[in-house]
Formats: sequence, C-alpha cells, structure tokens
Amino acid sequence: MTLVPLLLALEFGESDPDLAARIKRRDPQAMADLYDRYGRLAYSLILRIVRDREMAEDLVQETFLRVWTRAQAFDSERGALGPWLLAVARNRAIDYIRSADGRMARSTFEIVEMENPALFANLEREIATSDQARRIREALNKLDPNQRTVIELAYFEGLSQTEMAEKIGQPLGTIKTWVRTALKNLRDELGVAAPA
Amino acid sequence: MNCGELSEQYELYALGVLDEPELSELHAHLRRNCEVCAPAVRRAAVRVSMFANLVAETEPPLNLRGRVLASVGIVPKFRWNWMQTWATVAAAVVLALFWVEHLRRERVRDIAFHDAMQQVKQSDAEAVRLKEVLALLSAPETIVRVSQEGAAQPPQGKVFLNPARGVLLLASNLPPAPEGKIYEMWVIPASGNPVPAGLFQTESNGTAVHLQQGPVDLATTGAVAVTLELAGGAPQPTSQPLIVAPLKKG
Repeated sequence: MTLVPLLLALEFGESDPDLAARIKRRDPQAMADLYDRYGRLAYSLILRIVRDREMAEDLVQETFLRVWTRAQAFDSERGALGPWLLAVARNRAIDYIRSADGRMARSTFEIVEMENPALFANLEREIATSDQARRIREALNKLDPNQRTVIELAYFEGLSQTEMAEKIGQPLGTIKTWVRTALKNLRDELGVAAPA
Repeated sequence: MNCGELSEQYELYALGVLDEPELSELHAHLRRNCEVCAPAVRRAAVRVSMFANLVAETEPPLNLRGRVLASVGIVPKFRWNWMQTWATVAAAVVLALFWVEHLRRERVRDIAFHDAMQQVKQSDAEAVRLKEVLALLSAPETIVRVSQEGAAQPPQGKVFLNPARGVLLLASNLPPAPEGKIYEMWVIPASGNPVPAGLFQTESNGTAVHLQQGPVDLATTGAVAVTLELAGGAPQPTSQPLIVAPLKKG
C-alpha cells in the first residue's frame, strides 16, 4: 500500500514540523530522513506520471533539491511538509510531460504558485492527519468511473478540461460536469464546507 | 466573481487545470490575499496532494538515495571512511618504501623515492579534483542535463552545469579512444561556434568523469557535446558528436 509511508510518517516517529525545522537548519541527516520518509512515494508518483524510470530518478533528485533549497521559506511550525514535497514532485513531472508532449506550458505565475511553500502554510492541524489521507483515498475510490477518470487525467497527466474533452471524445460541458461532480463528491465525503 | 462563485474552482486550481476566465478571477483574489479564497486554496492544495496515494507503490533504485543526498552536498559517511583508509594505506606504503630504500643502493633508492612522490602527487590531485566535483554537484544553482535518453547502448552523458564553477560530464558506454585520438568536450552557444572545453580519455569500462572549470553562461549556452579528435585536440570539432546534451529539456 502506497499510503503506508505517509500514514506512518503522520502517526509515528518524528513529526513533520520537527523534520522541517531540521531541514531549515541544514542538518544533513534531516535530508536523509526526508528521503526515507517520502522518497518512495515521490518516486512512485513521478514514475506514474512520466512512465520513464531514468527520467523519474532525475525528477526525484530535482524535487528534493528544490525542497532543500526553498526550505527557508517554509513555515515549519504550521506547514504541511509532505503535501508540499508531493506538490513539487507532481509539478516537476507534469511540467516534464507537458514539455515532452509539446503541450503549452503553464504560466510562470501558476508554476511558482503551485510550488510556493506559503501555499502549504498556516493550515489547521487536522488537515494533514492520517485520518484525512485515509478518507481522501476512500472518497476517491467511491467515485464513479467517469468521475475518477477525469480526476486521474487532471492529476496524473495535467490535462485541462478542454484537453480532457479532446482526449476522451466527450463535450466540454460533460467533462466539466464530471469534474465538478467528482470534486463536490470528494468535498461531501470529507465534510468540507464550501465558503460562503 | 465573488468568493462563493469561485468556491468550486479551488481544487481545479490546485490541480493546475483551471480554465479561463475563472483562472484570472481566482488569481485576482489570491493576489490581494483574499481572506476567503487564500486559505481555501491552501486546504485544497493539501487535499489534492494526497491524490498521490492513488499510485501503485514502486521501489526506487537503491542508488537514488545517494544521488539525492549528493545533490545537496551530503556524502555518505562510508565513502569518507573509505577515503581515509585509502589515504592511510597509501601513506604507510610511502613510509615502507622509504625504509626499504635505505637498505638498497643509492640509485635504486632515488628511483623508488621518485615513484612514491609521484603517487602522492597524483593522490593530492585526485583529492582536489574530487572536492571540485562535489562542490559543483552540491551547488544549488547547478543544473543537470542528459543526452540520448531512451536509446539502447549508445554513448551516454549526464552534464552538470554551474554558472560559476563550470561543466561536469559523466559519460558511459564511451569506448577508450583509439591510439592517436582523444575525446574533446565542447560548450556550444545557442548561436556561434563551439568552444573547446577540455580533453579527456575514458576508463576501460567506457566511463569518464571530466570537469571543465570556469564560468559558463547558461543563458547563451545551447548544448554540451563530445567529439573524437586527434591527440592534442582541435580548435573546432572535426567529427560528428558522440554525445549531445541540450540545455533545453524536452
């Protein structure tokens, strides 16, 4: 189960805030601990996206290097280290396949914003708990096949809704409905209230 | 759009697939640090990151951990222990040679002493070179580019470029150059003639580590390449490149 490393990291051992604080202090052992905690999940995620082992290794290296060099901007007390690292990993992989496929790159603002450590700061404590990770996995597994397909196309292939419509031959309106319904179902399963 | 109208777009934004015009509207809210949208997007980003748990588990290669640590300048302890052991043994050999030479004739002693000093010099040079290589690999501004991705068994190269420190080439599947020939590395500008970046020979197993020190302008560099040249090198390439690593990915 891929979920196991993340759950173990969240439930046992040193907490992510402690690990993040050591990374900010440039403790070499902290980098080794970070890799031991998230290396397998990051590699699995990147490999699922790029489907090329050699490139996946390069992108894992790039991901950890980026987290290491940008850790000073990370809020170690209230930030979510694992989600940030996974966002960087996914972003690196999606950028690579978009570039390799000749698809339009995302805007600089978007790329910078999606990897911005501040995006993973000031979070309520409950959001990065193992229970939350487990509930998200269960909620994703409850989606109907169409809804799950569009979520996977968006997350693992970085396709826009327009690109999804072209890829699976459905009208854009249908795709938007599937995406919107999938995300609403996820929010409902997780008990997330929509802002007023 | 108001925050309520944007509330269904947060996960799409976190997924990086939000289309216009909602994307621009949400950007505007985030730029002014909207107290409703900004925290909601942060929560959505964390939820979306947990979609990673849908992937099937794959064990990374064993050497990847060492590569990741080396990329931030952390060298596994056992490598330093091995180096220290090697240095100690080398020093002991040198001392032993001195003792033996005292018991031999003057001429033989001089020759052996000379050989020992050469070993020490080579060791020092290797240590300095290793430090330079590690410094380049560990610098945060160093970028890495790969040649010939996906090909079966051609010469392959991995190039690390650092604007201040230079260019490091790690080559494989590159057979030793024939007699009278040598490999030459080139830094090729996006426009203009290739610039010679040093000569090197490969090991018997087809691998090579070549470091060309000195500043390199990443903005104007288009690629790094390797050609086979006559011994002594050439001012411009005279053969087809065996390795080409473009700076621009994809």
